Amino acid sequence: MSAQKTAQDQDDVLAMLADSINVWVGKLSEIVQRIVDVGPIRSVVNWGRIYSLWPVNITTACCSAEFGAASGARHDLERFGVLPLGSLRQSDLLVAEGTITKKMAKRLRMIYDQMAIPRYVIAMGDCAISGGLFHDSYSIVNGAHEFIPVDVYVPGCPPRPEALEQAIIMLQEKIRHSKVYERG
Amino acid sequence: MTVPEKPAPLAAVESSRTADSGPQTLTVSVGPQHSGSGHMRLIIELDGDIIVNAAPDPGYVHRGIEKICEVRNIIKSIPVIERPAIIDSSNLNHAYIRAIEELQGVEAPVRSQYLRCLLNEMNRIMSHLYWLSIFGVFLGHTTMFMWPLGDRELFIDLAEKLTGARITHSYIVPGGVRRDLPQGFADEAIKRIAYFEKRLVEYDKIFFNNPIFTSRAKGVGVLPRSEAIAIGATGPTLRGSGVDADLRKDEPYAAYSKLDFGIPTRKEGDSFSRAIIREEEMLESCKLIKQILKDIPAGPIRRKAPIVVPRGEAYSRVESARGECSFYMVGEGGDKPYRVRFITASFRNMSAIPVLLKGGHMADMPTAWWSVDYWPVEADR
Repeated sequence: MSAQKTAQDQDDVLAMLADSINVWVGKLSEIVQRIVDVGPIRSVVNWGRIYSLWPVNITTACCSAEFGAASGARHDLERFGVLPLGSLRQSDLLVAEGTITKKMAKRLRMIYDQMAIPRYVIAMGDCAISGGLFHDSYSIVNGAHEFIPVDVYVPGCPPRPEALEQAIIMLQEKIRHSKVYERG
Repeated sequence: MTVPEKPAPLAAVESSRTADSGPQTLTVSVGPQHSGSGHMRLIIELDGDIIVNAAPDPGYVHRGIEKICEVRNIIKSIPVIERPAIIDSSNLNHAYIRAIEELQGVEAPVRSQYLRCLLNEMNRIMSHLYWLSIFGVFLGHTTMFMWPLGDRELFIDLAEKLTGARITHSYIVPGGVRRDLPQGFADEAIKRIAYFEKRLVEYDKIFFNNPIFTSRAKGVGVLPRSEAIAIGATGPTLRGSGVDADLRKDEPYAAYSKLDFGIPTRKEGDSFSRAIIREEEMLESCKLIKQILKDIPAGPIRRKAPIVVPRGEAYSRVESARGECSFYMVGEGGDKPYRVRFITASFRNMSAIPVLLKGGHMADMPTAWWSVDYWPVEADR
């Protein structure tokens, strides 16, 4: 009887200890976050993020032709660190390339949820901004912002590769000024 | 030398499989988030590494373009019609305008017919180069990704000079074309084509004659002649199986009856033959562009055409970069058509994909699949 009681007490003590450890770890991580966001570590981390924006291999519609042209020899997105290779879990950037149909929207959201934080979204083309040419169609979603948070919009139908390059530069600028732990 | 017998444990596993639940297969979903899929999904049933069954799951880019055409007037529909095959936009545009002109009874001036062919051939080269670059990256050949995309810009610049837009030209309108040739276009075009023809020789050296490519493409994804005809394949997919069919020759439209060009065909029906045909077609297109620039007659480029779709039906078809693209249009007298129906080459070639993949290795899937040049946006419409 007494042995059982002591065992229960021990469990309670352990649980309390675990709780307090959790609290302390939480506080510690808060302190670390604050140090990182204030100090030079932040700029180093952001520098790393800026030049390794790997997009996911997902194409939603016809703007992919201009995305391809931008990755090609003349425009060469790789000089900005945008390398369209790698798996979903290793990617940071989701480019919604054009019209998003209702069938594709579900997949796009699924892909966004599976991506590791930090993750950024570029809505490329008029269709990904507001539906564009197909705004009155029965099978499309009017804009990517309806189901995922968008960082940069690129207007055009389709946008020229130069416009996409500018969007990448704008996104890099945005990352440069953002906090390391800001995004959740 | 005797053939070694199967090790006992494996044989036991196999027998238990067949005894319990038949041969077990694994179903893999490829796409739409996959470097080798594009905007579509392939549902592939695997037995080990061998593809038992493959079913395409299209519809990710279905935007209801046929319905949109019913609620807009014919001029406003031109950009919408171009979007499905954005890398080959003028060919779809041409087919659409030909259906309208047939209903209206308007015939475009001869000079505009030549200009239409000029842009069509430039688009064909652009489309094939885009295909080639993606084919290169599917096979892990990064040089072949960069080179064609770089050379594609040569023709994009030319098209931009002519029409004002990089890839979505909206150049062909009822009754003719929008703009005449700009000054110095012919010289610039001939210079660029001479450079491009030299580049094609280099493509041969680094890719088409490269054992790394030929060993992965020859004998992979074979589409026999009879099967290609039975499933209604079209374009380079059909010509790769030994059928000499090209609408530019069989049913000449625009200025093609006055031009001299060849139709490359191959008998093998494998991925390699479909690839090499596209390269030869690019050469033929270069020849055509040079001829057009030499032979183009003087005259008006546009005849006045009403923005009206007269009562009646029309059917038109052209040879786009991927094959036959056909439009069926019903008018009822207003400025909007009653019904527009169009079938694109990719939609027809989709039936070829299961045939190509069945019985092959999973590792050969990208080669066999992309050799068809299936552009999902065009197929879904």
